[in-house]
Amino acid sequence: MARRLMLALFSALFVLYVAGPVLWLLSSSLQMESEITAVPPNWLPPHPGLHNFSAIFSAGDSAEYVNRGIAGFLPSGAANLLPSLYNSLQVGLWVAALNLVFSLTAAYAIAVIDFKGRRATLYTVLATRVIPDIALVVPMFLVIRNLGLINSLGALVVTYLAVTVPFTIFILISYFEGIPRDLYRASRIDGCGHWGALRHVYLPLSLPALVAALMFAFLTSWNEFLFALVLTQNVAAQTLPIIIAGFVMDFTTSFSFVNAAGVIAILPPVLLAVIFQRYIVSGLTAGAVKG
Amino acid sequence: MAAITLQGVTKRYGSVTAVQALDLAIHEGEFMVLLGPSGCGKTTTLNMIAGLEEISDGTLLFDTTDVTRLPPHKREVAMVFQSYALYPNKTVAENIAFPLKLRRVPKAEIERAVAGVAEQLELTPLLGRRPNQLSGGQRQRVALGRAIVRQPSVFLMDEPLSNLDATLRLSMRSLIKRLHHQLKATFVYVTHDQAEALTLADRIAVMRGGVVQQLDTPEGIYERPANIFVASFLGSPQINLLREGLPRPDWVAEGRDVIIGLRPEDVARPGEGLATLGGRVELVSPLGSETQLEVALSGGSVTLRVPKDWRVREGEALEFGVDPARLHAFDAATEQRIAP
Amino acid sequence: MRLRLSYDDRSAAILVFPVLAVLLVVAAYPILYSFWVSLHDIVLTRPLRRPFVWFENYERMLGDARFHTAVLRTTVYTVVTVTVTTVLAVGVALFLNESFRGNKLLNALLLLPWATPSIVNGLMWKWIYDPTYGLMNALLVKLGLLDSYRAWLGDPDLTLFLISNAAIWKQMPLAALLLLVTMKAIPDDLYRAAKVDGATVFQRFVHVTLPALKPGLMLVLVYETMISIRHFDLFLIMTQGGPGDASYTLSWLIYVETFRSLRFGTGAALSYLLAMLTFLLSWLVIRALGERNA
Repeated sequence: MARRLMLALFSALFVLYVAGPVLWLLSSSLQMESEITAVPPNWLPPHPGLHNFSAIFSAGDSAEYVNRGIAGFLPSGAANLLPSLYNSLQVGLWVAALNLVFSLTAAYAIAVIDFKGRRATLYTVLATRVIPDIALVVPMFLVIRNLGLINSLGALVVTYLAVTVPFTIFILISYFEGIPRDLYRASRIDGCGHWGALRHVYLPLSLPALVAALMFAFLTSWNEFLFALVLTQNVAAQTLPIIIAGFVMDFTTSFSFVNAAGVIAILPPVLLAVIFQRYIVSGLTAGAVKG
Repeated sequence: MAAITLQGVTKRYGSVTAVQALDLAIHEGEFMVLLGPSGCGKTTTLNMIAGLEEISDGTLLFDTTDVTRLPPHKREVAMVFQSYALYPNKTVAENIAFPLKLRRVPKAEIERAVAGVAEQLELTPLLGRRPNQLSGGQRQRVALGRAIVRQPSVFLMDEPLSNLDATLRLSMRSLIKRLHHQLKATFVYVTHDQAEALTLADRIAVMRGGVVQQLDTPEGIYERPANIFVASFLGSPQINLLREGLPRPDWVAEGRDVIIGLRPEDVARPGEGLATLGGRVELVSPLGSETQLEVALSGGSVTLRVPKDWRVREGEALEFGVDPARLHAFDAATEQRIAP
Repeated sequence: MRLRLSYDDRSAAILVFPVLAVLLVVAAYPILYSFWVSLHDIVLTRPLRRPFVWFENYERMLGDARFHTAVLRTTVYTVVTVTVTTVLAVGVALFLNESFRGNKLLNALLLLPWATPSIVNGLMWKWIYDPTYGLMNALLVKLGLLDSYRAWLGDPDLTLFLISNAAIWKQMPLAALLLLVTMKAIPDDLYRAAKVDGATVFQRFVHVTLPALKPGLMLVLVYETMISIRHFDLFLIMTQGGPGDASYTLSWLIYVETFRSLRFGTGAALSYLLAMLTFLLSWLVIRALGERNA
């Protein structure tokens, strides 16, 4: 009995701590500027509605802006939100797709083939994982600028690829090592080269790890801020976090818009995380036990 | 057309040598068994023949072709694994068809071949199932099917029966023997089970520590073991080895320090031409068809297998006869056989 | 020794080439280039004169008061964040390791902070800390723990800890998940044996759980340290180094020096110092991860 009470208490605290802040953000995003600035605050939206979202999405439309009729300033940057959403999506999908191809081939080679330089390759991959972004960002900026690739989505994609690939390789190696070696041997005997063994044995048998890798790559590029901040300067390549950071740091922006923009950015990753929860957990924690 | 010749084949892992300068000529159509305890290098040898392990040193020939550096998928060998190694995401039919599919055999031909193999191995009703819906014996038959569907000239088997229960092992053993007669292919079979080796092999290579101890027919290995290791590895119960207490065969020089071996079954009632030995019976284990005895001799205790009608009781004294010609003599220092 | 590559070596080279190429271009080359830059006096507003100055940038930064402040702030932030994250994660993992109804749901909920973009995390907590309309003031006053509203992020004594709190909220879940998997791998027999031996709940935690948790704990500690020591996003969004220099960390200093003052030479030198520091700390992790796969 005491145990059940304790568990219930802990569960409540847990939910409050983990979900509370996000629920508060969500609640704020559904309120009008006048409601959100009430003291003491409205815990729940008195008149919940999607008005903030529709205002943001039609920010380019001046009529909508004028007609809002409520105190609240929508910065001109809001018009960039939709294009940046599109940029984020594009970068995320490219990174996820390329990451999968790159890390699949590399992880297969490292986990399965006994080749000269295997150890060196593994250490190189793991080592790049620990270089801090902030230390890379200065030289990256100079390199990309000299190449004239500032404001190109391609530069972002390649950068994120390098940021995500070491970890996804690690996920896949851990998973590959769990696939019985005899299956590989059988496939080689049956007539597969390395490409065939990858295609016929490792690819079909490691779907959970592949999903985890895909998710990780997409979410990382969707959430990334520092490189995007430095490597992009206009709407042609700016991603969602950049536009939202602009919202936050612009003191004239209404809180309701800021919060609504936050909800827009949080939604895709959270949905993906919930849908693919099992794969992500097993992927992220691969190797933790033995490591 | 597939004789396999190993010339000085060596496998090193760092500073450890798993297989040491192995010379072995496997004839075309022969059933060769590599027999030995775990870690003796038999599986490594098989993997090198398959191409699954790189050969550190030496040459491997298939007939007269040097295949030392050839990757496994270019070697045209078939292999059956202890773990069966069936592709879990493919059905039985797809598993069997896989090697043919990779060789771009026309679809109709694949179907015909799969149906034929399934018929031969009694797998026809199982063709649509997946490996996890099969019993161990069925899985091993599928693995065999996947190997024979290609009609390979070289067949490699890595302890294919050790995951099966005793009864199934017997029937699979005869199935494999039958396949060998039908296919007329060269078989290389790895096992640690002496009974499998003795029943299946044309010739056995007994290995230890990466070195072949003896290469001979099953009879030769059993009747004329080259050294103490081979003598004690084959035979159940193990051969009795004593320094004293057993008669010295007349071909052993006087004064030489030797160990005498007596197979448990090589005893009879005392009689003409036999040396007579006596001792106290310490343990009687009836095995049904015969009886196993532990008898204390002057030089140590020995295990004997005698017909059940001997009716011996524990604690009694027993006299029995031994044919000196059936004794084995080994040099005590080198442990090598001293031949008559 | 044969010079011709085997089939395995050739295949591996082809399969590994794309990744190594990307990592070389986007990680290895910039790191080397960065060292080269750090030896020059490069100011972007003066693009034509960029003299080679040896280690002058390093010397100047090591003697700079801002650098000393930044090191202090980074250390405090890292120690607080890592400690609290780890302790909290152990608690959450212990809790989720119990079997009870709804356990799976709570497990899923754990991914919410993990998936939240750090920019949104920053704006969310900034909004919670808001001096007039924020949740924190309202809640504390309502609970009677606070007399009047305060400007939380404006308090130099609190800022660093409040940012740390936001970071902990986002980083704790992964740490908890890692520890949870490690815990789940502890054989039940160990607990049963301890129970039979008469160990209390606390003794079982100390003598069974903690030792078995050690590898996971090491991983979490080093990983969280790596993340915290280089963290940037929250500092930009929430305080921009302020108030005063209350949240002036190393990564913020690098950003200001490089992209506000446009002094790329010193920025690169600072980056290099931070990279070295991180490398030193993560050497452990590479060894731990590498040993398994080598």
